[in-house]
Amino acid sequence: MANLAIQIKNVSKRFRVYHQRNTSLKQALVDRQRGRFEEFWAVSDVSVDVPEGESLGIIGENGSGKSTLLKCVAGILIQDKGTIAVQGRLASLLEVGAGFHPDFTGRENIYLNGAILGLPRRYITTILDDIVSFAELEQFIDNPVKTYSSGMYMRLGFAIAVNLDPDIMLIDEVLAVGDEAFQRRCMERINAIRAEGRTLVFVSHALESVRAICDRCLWLDHGAARMLGGVDSVLAAYLAEVDRREAAELEVTEIAEVDTSPGRMGVRITAIDFSGPDGPTTVLNTGDPLTISVGYAAPEPLRGARFSITFLRGDGAPILTVPTDDLETGDAALPREGVVRLALPGVPFLEGFYSVTVDITEIATGQHYKRLERVRPFRVHSADHREVGMALLGHSWELPQVTSRVARR
Amino acid sequence: MASTELLSERSLPPRPRAPHAGPLAGRIELLLELVRRDVKSRYRGSLLGVAWTLLNPLIFMIVYSVIFGKFLKVHYPGGSATVFILSGLLAWTFFSQALTVATNSIVGNAALVRKVAFPWVLLSVSSVVAALINYAISLLLLIPFMLLAHKGIGLPILAVPLLVAVTFALSLGLGLMLAAGNVYLRDLTYLVTLGTMIWFYITPIIYPWSLVQSKFAGHGLEGQAAQFVLYANPMTWVVLGFQDVFVFDRWPQHWHGLGYSLVVSLLSIWLGLRVFRRLRRRFAEEV
Repeated sequence: MANLAIQIKNVSKRFRVYHQRNTSLKQALVDRQRGRFEEFWAVSDVSVDVPEGESLGIIGENGSGKSTLLKCVAGILIQDKGTIAVQGRLASLLEVGAGFHPDFTGRENIYLNGAILGLPRRYITTILDDIVSFAELEQFIDNPVKTYSSGMYMRLGFAIAVNLDPDIMLIDEVLAVGDEAFQRRCMERINAIRAEGRTLVFVSHALESVRAICDRCLWLDHGAARMLGGVDSVLAAYLAEVDRREAAELEVTEIAEVDTSPGRMGVRITAIDFSGPDGPTTVLNTGDPLTISVGYAAPEPLRGARFSITFLRGDGAPILTVPTDDLETGDAALPREGVVRLALPGVPFLEGFYSVTVDITEIATGQHYKRLERVRPFRVHSADHREVGMALLGHSWELPQVTSRVARR
Repeated sequence: MASTELLSERSLPPRPRAPHAGPLAGRIELLLELVRRDVKSRYRGSLLGVAWTLLNPLIFMIVYSVIFGKFLKVHYPGGSATVFILSGLLAWTFFSQALTVATNSIVGNAALVRKVAFPWVLLSVSSVVAALINYAISLLLLIPFMLLAHKGIGLPILAVPLLVAVTFALSLGLGLMLAAGNVYLRDLTYLVTLGTMIWFYITPIIYPWSLVQSKFAGHGLEGQAAQFVLYANPMTWVVLGFQDVFVFDRWPQHWHGLGYSLVVSLLSIWLGLRVFRRLRRRFAEEV
């Protein structure tokens, strides 16, 4: 078995939340204590072993204790209970560019930041050009960093950090730096570090990065370890839980009012109603019939207008846009008030959250009269379906002729 | 077998490992870098730069020597009010400046302390070292005034490093306590300003030791109390030592006092490190 790089044993960390914080002497003397505070456990009784060469992801909602745990491993915070044993040289990247001095040039800050992170000056001199070119700052390296854009600042910080060359690297949510090309290079660097057999602990909200980088994953929930295991199974369980929570929220919320304010030329959308098999609803089963009614009102009869409804995934990615163009209503004048209806014989979507974007457009100019984005969130359950993914497509399987059945006892 | 082949195919040519300075060498390196930052940031962006380091004590010296020497007719032994005042004032400026910057050394670097684990104590140490460098520069101020007063200097100058070391140790020890304490009680910044102001007057800088000594006796309890305070003040003996060297060109006369100051300053470092180590556990949360 591989050696352990990090051994976290029953670690708990308590924080004080001050109701009224006394950092002035007078109050401290009067109250005989530094403020009234409540204590809460940000991390409670977490144990995890990280073998050498593994990348462990830590996920969880905001305030679940991810960063606190990471800071305990880094030695910035000291846990109140439990032990943390670290084997090897450790570098933590909790914030890029922490400790940059705004008046100093990029070059001076490379030396300063490198020293703070533990790199000898002589070594920095040998890798200085690498750092500068990785950060793409050749022309600006002798300007004070206060003149840098935030992207340049971050790139410089990250370029120093990836050169640290530790046995164990702790990374907290800092990959969302710079443009896409720079992010890709960062990921390449991190993967190279992994390939060299270094240990990685990675805290992030970006689940896709966690999936790309990590072997195993720890899910923290209110400071406690909820699940520890292979990255795919933990992410699946986490996503299911997030879904469940959102569903619970959605199912109790009233159907929200639609924004009925007038758009261009005074055109308004007066209502968007979802009707399922049992009347108005926001929760459907895959295969249920669904009718979406869009009420509109305009000062003049609507001529040359197109209605369209777009279905979107929970994260906002569009799935399908259905316009009324196919009705060849191009020249027809619609009454000043009315309702258009879209009927789906069976909802094709699978388990998840969806919403719609509704717009009324002038066909001649392509300009919107009125557009409501991501309104009417709805939930689809598909417990009866074995298909996996976003939506059903009509299909049928054909198998070769069955010659014999596997004998069963 | 197959899996090892796959592995070697994927792995990149090994990069040379970054060298890692040992714990002590690494700390020294980091300390030097932090001192460089503190010194540079002090002079960058200011018009007169190094001149401020000289100007500040120069102006105070002129004010004091005019008020006390000219108007109040205080007799400064050694014949030169300027050299007399300057020799104590420069050391004092070092001491009080070191305390002030050290007090702010952790709170002022909050962003760093919250996010990076490194020996934070070096932030405090470097602030005091930076003050020491300023002091070394400010010593240049003595040269023209000593020439003007026809003062020579001989072997006793060898005592200066010892005097500086005691001042440094005392300010470092107190500075560590103040730096750590200030994280929890921000009022310390103001208290330090007030405290050093009072401390200045109970140190024989702008008045000659011989003058106050003559007042201790025959003033009852008050005189005794004043005597106790001045004797107990470790800076008294350091400043007297500087005056001995620069004003009188002689070895420090109060060896007992200096020995006492040395012991106090070493104790303060010991205590300062203990306090700092104790309080640093929750720096990242409180700062």
